[in-house]
Amino acid sequence: MPNRLELSGITKQFPGVLANDHVSFAVKPGEIHALLGENGAGKSTLVKMIYGIMQPDAGEIRWNGEPVVVPNPKAARKLGIGMVFQHFSLFEALTVLENIALGMDAKIPSRELEARIREVMTAYGLLLDPHRTVATLSVGERQRIEIVRALLLNPQLLIMDEPTSVLTPQEVEQLFTVLRKLAAEGCSILYISHKLHEIKALCDTATILRGGKLVDTCDPKLETSRSMAEKMIGTGLKDIVKAEGRGFGPPKLLVNRLSTSRTGHFDVPVDDVSFTVRTGEIFGIAGVAGNGQNALLDALSGEIRSEDRDAITIDGKGIGMMGTTERRRHGLCAVPEERNGHAAVGDFTLSDNSVLTARDRLGMVVMGLINSGAAKTYTGKVIADFAVKALGPASTAGSLSGGNLQKYIMGREILQKPSVLVVSQPTWGVDAGAAAAIHQALVDLAAAGSAIVVISQDLDELRTLSDTLAVINMGRLSPARPVRDFSVDEIGLLMGGVHGTVEAA
Amino acid sequence: MQFRLEKRREPSKVMLYATPVAAVLLTMIVGAIIFSAIGYDGVGAVREIFLTPLTNSFKWQDLGVKAAPLIIIGVGLSIAYRANVWNIGAEGQYIMGGLAATWVALSTHGMGGWWTLPLMMLAGVLGGAAYAAIPALLRTRLNVNEILTSLMLTYASVQLIYYLVRAPWKDPMGMGFPQTKRFAAEALLPNIFPGTIVHAGVPIAIIVALVAWFIMSRSVFGYQMRVVGAAPHAARYGGFSENKTIWLALLVSGGLAGMAGMLEVAGPFQRMVPGFPTNYGFTAIIVAFLGRLNPLGVIFAGIVMAITFVGGEVAQTTIGLSSSATGVFQAMMLFFLLAGDILVRYRLKRVAPQEARA
Amino acid sequence: MTSELIIAIIVTVVGASTPILIAALGELVVEKSGVLNLGVEGMMLVGAITAFVVLFTTGNHYLAILCAAGAGVATSLIFGFLTLSLSANQTATGLALTIFGTGFSALAGQGYSARPVTLMGPLFPADLAAHPIWRVLFGYSALVYFSFAMVIGVWWFLKKTRAGLILRAVGENDLSAHSIGYSVVGVRYAAVAFGGAMAGIAGACFPLLLTPQWAERMTAGRGWIAVALVVFASWRPFRLLAGAYLFGLVMTMELYAKASGGPLSVIPAELWAAMPYLATVVVLVLISLRRDASSNAPACLGRPFLPTN
Repeated sequence: MPNRLELSGITKQFPGVLANDHVSFAVKPGEIHALLGENGAGKSTLVKMIYGIMQPDAGEIRWNGEPVVVPNPKAARKLGIGMVFQHFSLFEALTVLENIALGMDAKIPSRELEARIREVMTAYGLLLDPHRTVATLSVGERQRIEIVRALLLNPQLLIMDEPTSVLTPQEVEQLFTVLRKLAAEGCSILYISHKLHEIKALCDTATILRGGKLVDTCDPKLETSRSMAEKMIGTGLKDIVKAEGRGFGPPKLLVNRLSTSRTGHFDVPVDDVSFTVRTGEIFGIAGVAGNGQNALLDALSGEIRSEDRDAITIDGKGIGMMGTTERRRHGLCAVPEERNGHAAVGDFTLSDNSVLTARDRLGMVVMGLINSGAAKTYTGKVIADFAVKALGPASTAGSLSGGNLQKYIMGREILQKPSVLVVSQPTWGVDAGAAAAIHQALVDLAAAGSAIVVISQDLDELRTLSDTLAVINMGRLSPARPVRDFSVDEIGLLMGGVHGTVEAA
Repeated sequence: MQFRLEKRREPSKVMLYATPVAAVLLTMIVGAIIFSAIGYDGVGAVREIFLTPLTNSFKWQDLGVKAAPLIIIGVGLSIAYRANVWNIGAEGQYIMGGLAATWVALSTHGMGGWWTLPLMMLAGVLGGAAYAAIPALLRTRLNVNEILTSLMLTYASVQLIYYLVRAPWKDPMGMGFPQTKRFAAEALLPNIFPGTIVHAGVPIAIIVALVAWFIMSRSVFGYQMRVVGAAPHAARYGGFSENKTIWLALLVSGGLAGMAGMLEVAGPFQRMVPGFPTNYGFTAIIVAFLGRLNPLGVIFAGIVMAITFVGGEVAQTTIGLSSSATGVFQAMMLFFLLAGDILVRYRLKRVAPQEARA
Repeated sequence: MTSELIIAIIVTVVGASTPILIAALGELVVEKSGVLNLGVEGMMLVGAITAFVVLFTTGNHYLAILCAAGAGVATSLIFGFLTLSLSANQTATGLALTIFGTGFSALAGQGYSARPVTLMGPLFPADLAAHPIWRVLFGYSALVYFSFAMVIGVWWFLKKTRAGLILRAVGENDLSAHSIGYSVVGVRYAAVAFGGAMAGIAGACFPLLLTPQWAERMTAGRGWIAVALVVFASWRPFRLLAGAYLFGLVMTMELYAKASGGPLSVIPAELWAAMPYLATVVVLVLISLRRDASSNAPACLGRPFLPTN
């Protein structure tokens, strides 16, 4: 039997980057094939070319043995290639049925389509009401729509782009069951991820990319996580240096029954959250995306003010009703999840971006006028101390890569020496080198006596970084415990909203 | 041979300032071609509209007088647009400024003094700002789009002039003309060069632009306007209130439009007439864009627009071209400028055809 | 008040409402695709002068409407090219389009002012159309019935057809629509062109339906009112119908006030003239007080589409 999909010498050049450099590998029928690599390794570009969103500059794609050109996604679907995107291509204001109809190339009367959808849903245990509006669905349910949409076309190859990044461990298990069933029926699966344990659990073969080049094709069951990680990253892994047996000082940040009101249609507000962070402590908050993390960060940073002065206190001083500027003066700095447009202004120079949050703490404003010299000096220091790859303080924030921008933002806040730092998703979409540097900087800041709150969806990150952990679900925070007292299963259940069992335990 | 657009790493400074110049030049060339094609003397029209006002020194005074209100209003709009506040009702705020100043002039008629003009100026600024406060209030309290409200209020303000000059403010000695009486001498702007028509509004316009430039580029106020316009979410994170910024943007742009209204009614018009709305408020929108929302650029853009106004009048008398041709030229300039904007962020890259197909 | 007066008022309201309704229906479709074209007023003026010149030259009303629609499409494509192909700022480009339409129509209409044309006659035979009572239903020109048909047509298109679903999807989430494989720019070009055609026809209503001559800026801000109406109607065609007739009524009230001679007649004419604009502001305020006001708004409205990001 010929290979389902075979790539040979696929090359794609972007301005300044060689995204794919002569990549060749093959996927057999019924095989679950992992495409492994760091952010920026060229995985997404590669699958976009298989799915017809982009065209390769050179190289050949063979489909069931025949050379093919895939001019667009429609042609890909016609061949039998389905794709589930990492960022769902869903329309929130439309119903499940309408969303699926949009993904179908053939015109199918909506009654017939609905019948077929129900058929697929029952066959694979993907239950959903076709008439619900997408906006009302959870992330896991939304992913089911994408999968159902892809399955309706009876694909011979299903591409899954980072499918588990938004799921709870239990949802991940359910997904794997579906994928294994599909593979058993002969459908090949191209599974893109950077999560090694998942790949070991699910995949038959793994192709590893680094910097646009193919590094290795191996059997993940015969590899260790560490060996695959080293192939993926290139150099030996650096561990976080955390001083053993360090103690914590007195309580620094006290959050007492903090709640926010619902702002948008689909926002999850913070609901009666309380926790304490001591000096020198890194407090981790885990949770699946969209469970109130954004509202919590805004409520802590001061973008959303509380009506209760003492809902948030630093060293006993109530700051709940203060805005962001005043909270910064009291030593609380924050880094929101979205870098471009929230933590930084893409069109502004780095120097101007420093004015955004550091102007008061570092005296960049004199009588209403901005001291641009001070801003430039400080920015230069951030660039140097955090090894930000930028031409200088006059580069625009938008010209930096995601990882470099994140290093700049973290540096901008950390060098202000905040007594409390709240960060959300500190290393999301950042390459391993930068992530390690950011983690180390956070650990060092805590060691210097700051209280740190890290909100993240990356459990691995939280388990290595934090001292104490709590889980947020639907805006409510679980009781906090030392991180080593949590098992992954427990965290998973909390993330999925099962409170009772754990609280009883 | 094919071209492809490629995103630049950094926005091009050169293109940022070259595109407005290119837009003006392209407008002249394309304008000449189009006007020839539809049966006018195209080259003549372009020459009269764009060059005669510059080469004829008698027209220079006229240029200054026409550029002054455009610059003052354009500076205000450039500040508002930076903050992403789309005040397009500057014409209405200009009218309200003019009416407020007229009210002061009429009610102090015959008992004025050195303080009359400053008082009129204050009234003009307040009148314009107050009218802009309506869209600001509606936007910040009820989230009503300021584009529509500010524009609708402009249409309403025109009717207010008609009402006032036809009834309560009508000059009884005006032989039935719907207009107010001529302002007293203390309520008229002095000419700065005796024997010319250049009034005090011209240097005021330059001063306004310079002050605005300094504030926008150096102060926290300017930073606030820019950051709220560029990234509202980041602005909130940085501690800048969006609502406060909307208020400031509308009050400043409305106040400056009102100031221009005062200068016009106390300068060239010398009284309130139904023809007071001269579209300066709308043309200033083009001025703000052509000046790249930079107060210094607005000075030059204001002069370019004034040239087309003066030139439009020249073309009307010399080659019989309708004054509305000016509007077409001005709109064309804005089209070319907006089209050229893409070159600031992208570069044109030539690609060989076979590569493009691959 | 006599029944003749009531009928006369209804007929006037219908006339005043029709152009706003047609223009607003076009803009509704444009906005549903995620594009905000503020150049409606300019496109209407281009349509108005085109219709006038064609009518003046040929005397054919239907040809005039057709040409006005074509001119509207051509004008809208300037906007489309700048905002869709070159990703220019939609607000600024829409304003530029209005400035252009105002100048262009004034230039083209030079020499046509004070030249009379004939208004478009009723669609139905004179027995019905001129009947003292039945003219309320049958006394209108084809444009009026066209506007009603388009209300249903636009509703049916958006709600019931696959093309309408795609258009809504593009306005809801352009990046998703692109990744599924729909041509976002193509769909939006089509929507913008439709909006241009409708604005052109709406402009044609002025010389064909209301005042049988050309006057500069004869649309007098109706294009802007149409834009406001789309917000008022929460992007729903039947609410648009109600909104347009509400405005038609406001614009016609002056006639009623004068005719009835009651207390309303002391209101100065200028205030009556300002009424539609003030009413627009009031309506925008009222709509903002409703909680679901923006829930039906296309999520991508006014945002430029950049597939590379």
